[in-house]
Amino acid sequence: MDEKFDCIIVGAGVAGLAAAMTLARNNMKFLLIEKGEFPGSKNVSGGVLWGSDLAKLVPNYWEEDGGWDRFINHRRLTFMDDQSAFSVDFKSSHFNEPPYTGVVVLRSKFDRWLADKVQEAIDESDYAMDSFIAPNILVEEVLMENGKATGIRTGDEKFYADSVIIAEGVNNLLTRQVGLQNKYVPADHILTGIKEIIRFDQEVLENRFQLRGKSGMSNEFVGFATDGVEGGGFLYTNQDTLSLGLVLGLKDLREKGKEPYEILNTFKKHPVIADAIHGGEVVEYSAHVVSSGDKRVMPEKLYLPGLLVCGEAANLLMNAGKAIQGMDYAIRSGIIAAEAIINAKKAEDFGETSMKKYQDSLNDSYVMKDINNFQDAVHLLHDPVMTQKMPNLICDFGRNFFSIKNEPTQKARKMFGKSVKKHSSYLELMKLGWKGSRAL
Amino acid sequence: MKLLTLSEQLGLVSYRNQSKSEIKPHIVVDTDICNTVCPHKCTTYVCPAKCYTMDEQGQVHFQVEDCIECGTCMYACDQGAVSWEFPDPEIGRGVTWNYG
Repeated sequence: MDEKFDCIIVGAGVAGLAAAMTLARNNMKFLLIEKGEFPGSKNVSGGVLWGSDLAKLVPNYWEEDGGWDRFINHRRLTFMDDQSAFSVDFKSSHFNEPPYTGVVVLRSKFDRWLADKVQEAIDESDYAMDSFIAPNILVEEVLMENGKATGIRTGDEKFYADSVIIAEGVNNLLTRQVGLQNKYVPADHILTGIKEIIRFDQEVLENRFQLRGKSGMSNEFVGFATDGVEGGGFLYTNQDTLSLGLVLGLKDLREKGKEPYEILNTFKKHPVIADAIHGGEVVEYSAHVVSSGDKRVMPEKLYLPGLLVCGEAANLLMNAGKAIQGMDYAIRSGIIAAEAIINAKKAEDFGETSMKKYQDSLNDSYVMKDINNFQDAVHLLHDPVMTQKMPNLICDFGRNFFSIKNEPTQKARKMFGKSVKKHSSYLELMKLGWKGSRAL
Repeated sequence: MKLLTLSEQLGLVSYRNQSKSEIKPHIVVDTDICNTVCPHKCTTYVCPAKCYTMDEQGQVHFQVEDCIECGTCMYACDQGAVSWEFPDPEIGRGVTWNYG
């Protein structure tokens, strides 16, 4: 293939697909390369795709029965000790109407479906015969000439383009190759996610979690779930399966000498989780690294002449306590990256200044605004007081508060005081409250 | 619900190029580093697929066949022993997730 593309996108995950969809709709000639057998085949996520940006890519996606599994109308945050679970639970019919506040997805199915939508957009574009989604190809190098990206190399083959969008995911080897990320990224702000997919008879699942039609639940866990390691757990309802998993701080895991699958088994044995998953059959075990949302791990610069980095390759993922957001950041950054390429093509300028507009737009978007605004919350969530002591304290109080003993009952305030003294101190709690009120 | 052992969990994974007897490893580990200077040998417990094992003499060994491409060892190893690439689609190992 001697011809030159307007853009080569590396990686057909949600970031790459969002960029590709935007390019196709704007009649750009591009090549979208995916190393897996098909788009989604190498991707793992929790995973809820939060917000309504999916409708930007596939308008009225809710009208068809494909791609996504369930919409979320039921949220639950659970504090756990070894025997108990104390939850903040919110369910609302406000969340029943599209555009939904979030949809649960399984990436092997979702990304493949989204790629079909991108192919449809290509077919309707001016470059129906000249733009391609190419799976099963591993990009080994981004070609650079005088500091400008000119294309990619796979094996002995080279493909050329005016621009390259790197959407390769968190294990961002190409981002490192071009010098935007350090060659070695330490474990400090990186987490390892592990997950099981557990299958049920669909009716059993729907009855157990009170699901109706395509409604679904998301549940996050802090405390005992991670067996003393910083991080948290999650449970999401898919169509006829559950996604149950953990996200574990890698540095802490290393220091505490624990094995992730052992922690997962401990989590599964917790009485509350055991009740939720009994009768199910594990059909997949998976793992993937994720970034934490701590800005210290992110590349400072997301562009070079002729090159942009988006999605998890740019470490765009954050858990600030409300939700684990990553796929929505991937979509928005992919769209913004493609828009920068479209403008560069119009101006026939793929230089530094032109590419910088991507980062400027990203900084103006909710993605970087949230990441910048919620850094304190990210730090707080990795504070052992928050991840260990608080859940124990809350569950201890819960057990006392809900115990009815046919003997004189203490006032709740006194009960709470006892739990505070047992697991923490008022000073520690005040500090946490102060930090929390500013962070959230 | 019966808990699965790690080998049962890995038995559920669809690996690529399983029919090929010879595969090109996408991760190369300099176990001399693990076995001489590394103070923690953490890959032997943080790897979610237990591709790194320790024998009775405390020596670290690595096999790539069970790798699920998560990336953990690339960050966890702070001794420079792990060279991590993505598997080659034709002659490498690695995964195809059924759910993901």
